[in-house]
Amino acid sequence: MSVHFEQVSFAYDDRSLWRHGALADVSLSITPGSFVGIAGITGSGKSTLLQHLNGILKPTAGRVKVLDFTIGAGDKGPLRELRRRVGLVFQFPEQQLFEDTVEKDLCFGPLNFGVPLEEAKDRASRALEMLGLDDSFLPRNPFHLSGGQMRKVAIASILTMEPDIIALDEPTATLDPQSRAELLQLLSRLQREEGKTVIVVTHRIEEMLPYAESWIVMKDGTPIFQGTPAELVREERHLSEAGLALPECIRLWNQLAIKLGLEQEEPCLSAEAIAERVAALYEHEVHPPTWGGGAGDAG
Amino acid sequence: MRDKLLFGRCIDTGSPIHRLDPRAKITGMILYLIAIIAVGSWPMLLVTVVFSIVYMLATRIPLKYFVKAAKPLWVLMVFIFVVQSLTVESGEVVLQIGGWALYAGGLKSGFIAAARMALLVSFTAILTFTTTPGLLNQGLDGVLKPLQKIGIKTQRLTLMMSIALRFIPTILDETHKILKAQAARGADIKELPWKEKGKLLLSLLVPVTVSAFRRAEELVLSMESRGYIVGAPRSEYHLLTWQTKDTWFVLSYVLLVAVVLTYRFI
Ligand SMILES: Nc1ncnc2c1ncn2[C@@H]1O[C@H](COP(=O)(O)OP(=O)(O)O)[C@@H](O)[C@H]1O
Ligand SMILES: [Mg+2]
Repeated sequence: MSVHFEQVSFAYDDRSLWRHGALADVSLSITPGSFVGIAGITGSGKSTLLQHLNGILKPTAGRVKVLDFTIGAGDKGPLRELRRRVGLVFQFPEQQLFEDTVEKDLCFGPLNFGVPLEEAKDRASRALEMLGLDDSFLPRNPFHLSGGQMRKVAIASILTMEPDIIALDEPTATLDPQSRAELLQLLSRLQREEGKTVIVVTHRIEEMLPYAESWIVMKDGTPIFQGTPAELVREERHLSEAGLALPECIRLWNQLAIKLGLEQEEPCLSAEAIAERVAALYEHEVHPPTWGGGAGDAG
Repeated sequence: MRDKLLFGRCIDTGSPIHRLDPRAKITGMILYLIAIIAVGSWPMLLVTVVFSIVYMLATRIPLKYFVKAAKPLWVLMVFIFVVQSLTVESGEVVLQIGGWALYAGGLKSGFIAAARMALLVSFTAILTFTTTPGLLNQGLDGVLKPLQKIGIKTQRLTLMMSIALRFIPTILDETHKILKAQAARGADIKELPWKEKGKLLLSLLVPVTVSAFRRAEELVLSMESRGYIVGAPRSEYHLLTWQTKDTWFVLSYVLLVAVVLTYRFI
């Protein structure tokens, strides 16, 4: 297991008048090398959960095991090595940048972990390139970039550390649709080709459906669902229970599945895939489909 | 970091003090300030301490929070105590080292001065603990209104006040977030040696200031784009209503001032 939460609870400002419970009895596991989506409405504890992955927050009760580290309530041990291996991109990138040039910001992590300057700079320009920004950004002031560019720099500044686990908090917010798709493809490539574990927090489930291999749905600081995309589709009620909008393609697939008896199949979750599947049904006439009312909004 | 700094935080316990008119509370605080300045003897210090504790208890906020509020200023208090005790030369000599003498009167006035400081800070915390920033601001506006007659632009003052109050927690929050981001990339301030800690904090100065300015700019733009003009007439969100209990509250402070002043000058 690369990540394992054992009955983790967490409260902000614990032991004060402002005590505010944010995680309650969270138990979950994430397999190494997988692509995991974490969904939930605002305030459901997603960001809090993510910050437990590298010991930025420590549980008030329970234990978090990440790679070969264990963090329990009140543990103090040094966390540097853990932080090198777990890259965390915070929710608001503008609060994550602090150097006066993009290059310095990108090199900050590697230099802290003892990477020689030349190599750090090398990594910086490679990471920028991965995110579709060229070297002309290196000398620029990160605070003068657009929101989307800042986001990309923030993500690049984590990639330069070459972590084994990459955790991103709503990375697609503030990005335009094309950059969004490119980012998810990049993450998926890092996962497939370099064996990284990628964990992405989102409240837009549909954009991650093609990539995520497993899902965690959070509600009020507790995971109410953990499983594969197919299970998520079959148990779509968890999404509405968590207050999330049901993605159009899941709704469509479920309607078709009921009508055409495809419940046991691996769900197709894009318009094209669904169209192909339905076309295949017609061609082979395995189940001569009987269209009823209500499927009309399927296209 | 956040939980250590109590300034400017409202703690809602729903006590009668919370429900007082903010103008009454501000007037009370001003009277209290006068009383504190006039305190110069043990009996009056005792009277003020008892008066303060009664009101602190009435807020239903644990006393330790008032103590905490005064804590950041302890260096200043020690300083005041030392300076006063060394400079005032009255009463008996308590301690003599070479040419230096420590007088009983010096110790007394040092102690009283430091106690006044502590009282003042923790007692004025009642105001911020029991009043939301919005109401505080409106109350200040009300109290300052008479100054408009002599041509002072009080709205500007109160706007500045409210923005400052609004930004102190934001700036702290921002600092906290950047520290977290640095920790995530291998520079955890908690794990660094002292010298490095200092360097890291210094390196925060620029981004935090920059982002505070940016926030302020955004705030001004968003206020202006919603039609806000400094000093233009505008209806208030809550109408403040002065009730009998507010009068009684202020009167209790008038009484305190009267007692302290009478003792002092008669
Ligand atoms: N720094 C903080 N101090 C106090 N409470 C917080 C803080 N950050 C988040 N919370 C609270 O913790 C809960 C979970 O927040 P968060 O993890 O940010 O949710 P999400 O990322 O899903 O929106 C929320 O109720 C939020 O108000
Ligand atoms: Mg969040």
